[in-house]
Amino acid sequence: MSGKGIRLTGTALAVLGLVGIVAVYWLSFFWVSTEVNQGIAQRIFYVHVPAAWTSFLAFGMAAFTSGMYLWLRDERLDRAAVAAAEGGMIFATIMLTTGPLWGKIAWGTYWTWEPRLTFTLLLWFIFLGYFMVRNSTENPEKGKRFAAVVAIIGALDIPFIHLSVVWFRSLHPEPIVLKPDQPSLPGDMLTLLLTSLVVFTTLFLGLFLLRYALETLRAGQQARTREATA
Amino acid sequence: MTTMNMLRIVALPLVVILLATADLGGQETASRLATQSLKPYWHVFIAYAIVIVMVLGWVVSIARRLARIEAQLVE
Repeated sequence: MSGKGIRLTGTALAVLGLVGIVAVYWLSFFWVSTEVNQGIAQRIFYVHVPAAWTSFLAFGMAAFTSGMYLWLRDERLDRAAVAAAEGGMIFATIMLTTGPLWGKIAWGTYWTWEPRLTFTLLLWFIFLGYFMVRNSTENPEKGKRFAAVVAIIGALDIPFIHLSVVWFRSLHPEPIVLKPDQPSLPGDMLTLLLTSLVVFTTLFLGLFLLRYALETLRAGQQARTREATA
Repeated sequence: MTTMNMLRIVALPLVVILLATADLGGQETASRLATQSLKPYWHVFIAYAIVIVMVLGWVVSIARRLARIEAQLVE
């Protein structure tokens, strides 16, 4: 796909995602039923869980493209990795800020050092380290390689986050959708959750493509600057 | 003073006190319920606002960086 094609596709997906967010908000407030025990606060679920899923997808993509970059040394893979990692940080920040708001109502506390929260915060800090490592070396190529290793290490944390509720005592419930038998969620709630997952993923993919296009332009500009100075 | 008058003297303040306390009790319960029911609304509002702010922030950030690099490339 050409640079223009990537930007057009990215813009189209991002616009679709933003319209989708409006639709999810409308469905959340005017369509889906209210959960009996937690009441209105349970509606945070429809942005918190999709943000978590999207951040895991983004960090997974960053780790995969980083691994491929270390193997093939193709600059496009590194650009994809940094674009995905930035998106991952955005959605992980949403997850880490909306979660405590829900937790205060559901558990009576904004934060507790239970396994899932701790592993998630660790993931956020690892990817913060990704950007710090990337920009802290004098040789940019070395920085890219170090950052790629950090991204792979960070992604290894994701299975721990998912399975921590099964392995350890946790305030988070055990998986209610991604589990061997059927999802234990009422039909309308499951429908809205899945819709929100699709919307968040579409939005991320759109903005990921635009961020990738930005990184490609930046690389082109740096190449031109190097040619000019040579 | 007749018994009836004595009863009136005692009963009147008693009724006033009972009415007043009943009213205060009602207000207290109502205000407590209002606090309980509004807090989750605020949390939902803030959570949904965070999503909008973060996503639009990223959109604007990408757009501004793209525009800046394009301008530099044109120069």
